[in-house]
Amino acid sequence: MGNLVKAEFRKTLSLNTWWVLLIPLVLVAFWLTFVWGKITNDFADFLGGRDARQVSETIGLDPNKIPVGLLALAHGVNIAQLVPGLFGIFALAGEYRSKTITTTFLTAPNRISALTAKMITYVAWGAIYGLVSFGVSAVAVMASVDSGRWPSAGQWLAALGGSVLAGALVTLFGIGFGAVLRSVPLAVVLFLVWFLIVENILVIAFWLWGNVTILGGILPNGTANGIVGGVAADAFGFNSLNLPDSVDAGAQLALQYTAAAPGVLSWWASALIFFAWTMVFFGLGWAGNQRRDIT
Amino acid sequence: MHDGSGRIVVQNLSKRFGAVNAVQNLSFTVEPGSVTGFLGPNGAGKTTTLRMLLGLVTPTSGMATINGRPHSQLGNPARVVGSVLENEGFHPGRTARNHLRVYAAAIGVPDRRADEVLGLVGLGSAADRKAGGFSLGMRQRLALGTALLGDPQVLVLDEPTNGLDPEGILWLRNFLRSYAREQRRTVLVSSHLLNEVEQLIDQVVIISQGVTRYYGPLEQLRKSQQSRVLVQPADPSALVKALQDSGITGVSPTPDGRVAVAGSSVQQIGDIAAKAGIAVYGMQEEHADLERMFFQLTQGQYTGGQPGYPPQPAQPQFQGPPPGYPPQQQHYQQGPPSGPQQQQQYWGGPQQ
Repeated sequence: MGNLVKAEFRKTLSLNTWWVLLIPLVLVAFWLTFVWGKITNDFADFLGGRDARQVSETIGLDPNKIPVGLLALAHGVNIAQLVPGLFGIFALAGEYRSKTITTTFLTAPNRISALTAKMITYVAWGAIYGLVSFGVSAVAVMASVDSGRWPSAGQWLAALGGSVLAGALVTLFGIGFGAVLRSVPLAVVLFLVWFLIVENILVIAFWLWGNVTILGGILPNGTANGIVGGVAADAFGFNSLNLPDSVDAGAQLALQYTAAAPGVLSWWASALIFFAWTMVFFGLGWAGNQRRDIT
Repeated sequence: MHDGSGRIVVQNLSKRFGAVNAVQNLSFTVEPGSVTGFLGPNGAGKTTTLRMLLGLVTPTSGMATINGRPHSQLGNPARVVGSVLENEGFHPGRTARNHLRVYAAAIGVPDRRADEVLGLVGLGSAADRKAGGFSLGMRQRLALGTALLGDPQVLVLDEPTNGLDPEGILWLRNFLRSYAREQRRTVLVSSHLLNEVEQLIDQVVIISQGVTRYYGPLEQLRKSQQSRVLVQPADPSALVKALQDSGITGVSPTPDGRVAVAGSSVQQIGDIAAKAGIAVYGMQEEHADLERMFFQLTQGQYTGGQPGYPPQPAQPQFQGPPPGYPPQQQHYQQGPPSGPQQQQQYWGGPQQ
């Protein structure tokens, strides 16, 4: 298995994709975090008096001292983690595209070991991308948010762990998604359109007109965002699991949206549910590859 | 693990893709120490068979083994079998050396092996060029280099001469020969053209429509070649009768009104015709070559019926195949031909 993992790393490192993808990742992670940091730096101004009071009462903090840096970081990391997702799509669908999958299967003891090596390698890559997006976002937080509103040491660590976990899971999701669709272009387009547009519209539309607030807590994009977003929301006490009943739906949307995770249940619930989504796609992709005739 | 024999065994192998029977009940064995040609027209099921042998396609029934094991049970398969397949890919952005280093790592051979095989296939100077810019011939060489990485006991090549220039084909012939003979390894080479691999192979497996037509030594196929005489008589039916009366059985009419006679000399036929008082306007001796034999063994794939012997209304007495000419296919499903009946088979009729 060590040989196959080494081969998989060589595959990725001998092409430019891994570092080219780092460019949008760094740009998105930095600028989204920076802009959101600037906007939320004065949290009271941003939310308006009533909501801000409600939040600060909930978490028992002076509105001027709440860790808004965590919210900004969640925004940067959540969009940046689409990049490892794209990287994952190329992992298997890309091998079918360039037809190197034949040689990959011919040089591995069996398909299970070939796919397992790929999974291990890409989990590592996803974790690296998560680490980089956390690092860049952390710098952007420091550049845009007053130091009194930075996360605490524990919150930094939780956000770091969440970023790495989300990066790895999104990468696996991408592998499975690409393997199920068996087409790089189709998978890339559908992945971006769903994660950036369709699901957001669904979540907000159902929220505003159907009073359904759960979608963001269970759909793929919402749960992927809800890992780091949930860390932020947990810190503020406004994830759906412990939000006081007194907060109405509109305020809940606004609050949870500041953590880039409307409908978030909690970071761990998001992680578990997104893990389930990942397993659904990864499992389908795996099963298909196990039996598929390579002609 | 595997038995290390270097033997390829294909046994009652079948593959169905939807409604299409790509391979039907195919059986043959390939022994080490020789180069075996795997021949058949395009679409005959060669590629599917090789891909089943390599574990890329799952058989519908039957089995294909190397060293007594299916591909998935070979352990480190690239050390046992190397293959050059059509449709095999290289990432266009990866250099030849990096491509080989990826798979050298997967197989577990040292990195210098990548440079060794680059030299072996003559791509040393192109090592750092990206495969996307390679010609078809260079890609074939790189594919062969990849196949050789694990120094395998068995080599399987699907249409390896495609894209190679004559010099490249000559080089490949010499390479595969010495690989098989001097090192006692097994080489299986598929092709849709017998003459492309004729100089290269010792054994041959011929398939058509997913069914084995012949398998055995090429030499035996060659020996069974027989010349025939094409006679242009004034009265074909009278000549056929006269010949048959004289005990000559290898007689068949051709669509252009001539009579093809196998197993007889020009003198014999001339004597019989003269005795019977039949005028003969011309006689032509024809020697079969392997290519023609191959064509006749495999033709009919796209014509849907038995080759040769179209009804000839002008000569009602010759309608249908004469006795001793059952459909060709039946003769070649059970190994090499032997006996006079099969010799006639090579002349199954005019080419269509």
